[in-house]
Amino acid sequence: MNIIETTGLVKDYPLGKTTVHAVRGIDLAIAKGDILSIIGPSGSGKTTLLNLIGCIDTPTAGRVKIGDTDVTALDDRRVTDLRLHRIGFIFQTFNLIPVLTALENVEFPMLLMKHHSRAEIRRRAQQLLEDVGLAEYVQHRPAELSGGQRQRVAIARALVTDPDIVLADEPTANLDSVTGASILDAMREMNAKQQTTFIFSTHDANVLKYAKNIVKIKDGLIAREA
Amino acid sequence: MRLIATIAWRNLFRHKGKSLIIGAILFLGALLMTAGNGVISGMDAGLQRNIVEGFCGDALLVSDQQESDNVFLEMMGKPVAPINNYKAIDSALHGMPAVAKWLPMGKNFVLALNEDGGMADGLFALGVDYDRYRAFFGDNLRLVQGAFPQQGGPFVLIPTGWRKQMGEFYGVLYTPEGQPPDTATLSPAIRKRLSEMSLRQSAVYMGMNADNSTTDVRVPVKAVVKYRSLNTIWGNFPIIDIESYRQCLGYFSAAAQTATVKQSNLDLFAASDASLDDLFGATDLVASHGGGRPAAVLGAGSLAGGREMARPAVDLDAGTYNMVLLRLRGSRVLDQAVRSLNRELEARRLGVRAVTWKKATGMIGSMAVLIKGALFVFVSFLFLIAIIIIINTLSMAAIERTPEIGMMRAVGARKGFIRWMFTAETGVLAAVFGGAGIVAGVAAVEVVATLRITSENDMVQLLFGGDTFRPLLTAPDIVLAVLQLALVTLLAVIYPLRVAGNITPLDAVSRD
Repeated sequence: MNIIETTGLVKDYPLGKTTVHAVRGIDLAIAKGDILSIIGPSGSGKTTLLNLIGCIDTPTAGRVKIGDTDVTALDDRRVTDLRLHRIGFIFQTFNLIPVLTALENVEFPMLLMKHHSRAEIRRRAQQLLEDVGLAEYVQHRPAELSGGQRQRVAIARALVTDPDIVLADEPTANLDSVTGASILDAMREMNAKQQTTFIFSTHDANVLKYAKNIVKIKDGLIAREA
Repeated sequence: MRLIATIAWRNLFRHKGKSLIIGAILFLGALLMTAGNGVISGMDAGLQRNIVEGFCGDALLVSDQQESDNVFLEMMGKPVAPINNYKAIDSALHGMPAVAKWLPMGKNFVLALNEDGGMADGLFALGVDYDRYRAFFGDNLRLVQGAFPQQGGPFVLIPTGWRKQMGEFYGVLYTPEGQPPDTATLSPAIRKRLSEMSLRQSAVYMGMNADNSTTDVRVPVKAVVKYRSLNTIWGNFPIIDIESYRQCLGYFSAAAQTATVKQSNLDLFAASDASLDDLFGATDLVASHGGGRPAAVLGAGSLAGGREMARPAVDLDAGTYNMVLLRLRGSRVLDQAVRSLNRELEARRLGVRAVTWKKATGMIGSMAVLIKGALFVFVSFLFLIAIIIIINTLSMAAIERTPEIGMMRAVGARKGFIRWMFTAETGVLAAVFGGAGIVAGVAAVEVVATLRITSENDMVQLLFGGDTFRPLLTAPDIVLAVLQLALVTLLAVIYPLRVAGNITPLDAVSRD
């Protein structure tokens, strides 16, 4: 069963008098529980594709379906709710809310959902931080954490709502190899446990060994799937 | 809500510089606004106290024939309609529990004739029975030179303002009977020209009533006085004994009534031009007046002779007045009390109506409202500048926080959440710094009030609402300050909210 489907996906950016064709017609189907790695050179359209799939950007043409929902037909409020309930994000650098502690950052999406008790939210956030090896850092603010620790907090936050999909843009770009590997291990473990679908965009060859499937993008088009 | 409050509170400390800039603006704005409200309220209360307690009471009765309510300060000194039935009014007032005390009074425009042949000067004369005047107002007059009238008889109390005007512009200097000029109380300009001054110990007034009567009367100067407060304004209101005043205005005096003038003749004399026309042809028009003659005629004679009239014991209330000043009981809103009084007066068909002191004193009564309006414009201008600075600072803050806000939106925060977060941040700043500004404003008003700053300068007294600066803050003033602060905060946050709410996750990614 496909959790994500894109059909004829096009994204153009006006740049002065010219137009940049970032994505030029991508058809993609991603199965539930997949770990998909999107690779390609800089400027190939990886991040744009990720943004379109994650409902952060809207396509110029084509459709994106998350489950049975055509997200291109939704208004901002519904798209926001869809991101909250079904998608987890791990960004490359802009990761955490600076004024909240690691624990509060992880709690943040669950608090927005308003479905859970404070105790339940606290218990789950603490558990996830333990899972990513940050039990001792729950009261630290982002500025007091290393790059790897912040990224792990971001992973915990991405998973706290039990999303169907986790999108990660260069998740190991700012990490040393050991930390990067430990994070990828954690993701693979969660994929195995909860059938969470992970989609990475990466330059890092080490990430590829965790991927079940790989899509190579070049000039806004799928160059190869494996 | 707790989450929003937590983020908002911590962001204030994270962005200390911006918080302090916005906070300082809100603090100063709230301080100025609160202190300004205090000054205005103090001035309003002071004006009310000084005018009500020192010049015209809470309200006054005027004839139904009187067109304008502004009986004291109407431009060009249009005559105030006479009241000829004071006795009936007095009797009615005794049965009105809302009225604590009252004072019948004459007030009209008169010309002070220059016996040296120079130009006459116009002024408003008040005609009173001095004992009753004193009982009504207490010590509203400060003696500058001379003595207050001790017993009946003609007198004029000349205010320093008018004495100064006559001295400096007409070269006429009034001094109390039998006394040389007290140089210490004279203006430098008059002192300098003292030897050239024409010294006068009596004044000659010519009334200007509705019938264009030109009766004049000489009255001895008993004292030079100063109104305890607002002497600049009241300086053109000399106080004359009521009988001389009536003679001057051509009204029937009490003495004339004592002389048993026939009622038909009294009616004829008091009638308006239109009524007089109606009376021509009536058979009793030429009826004998029984040997009596109107006091106005006596008054005319007094100018030629330059002597005071000998007066029999008279019932002053039988003569003509122009108004009855009232002090009211209780703490009812004045307008309501006056409306209620008017219903009662109408029912009794006394031919008079009540007007509030504010209406009766025209521009002066509205001074507080005018200055309040001016201050409001000034404070609004300050706040406009403050709003622009706050809008700019908050908008810049929103743009600088694009990655943070975009990330929040990416993980599921709706626009509303972002807007509430910004509103809460600005709200906390407004509450903390604006609140501190209001508290500081209240403290400043309290401290200044205890200093009891006084001024002899008349214009400053007008701004003080009296001779002492007593800023005053009432509960409604403080509530108003809080509402103004809330409005400013709301206006200042609208545009930044729009900026923050429109930040998308993509903006954050693009910036990154």
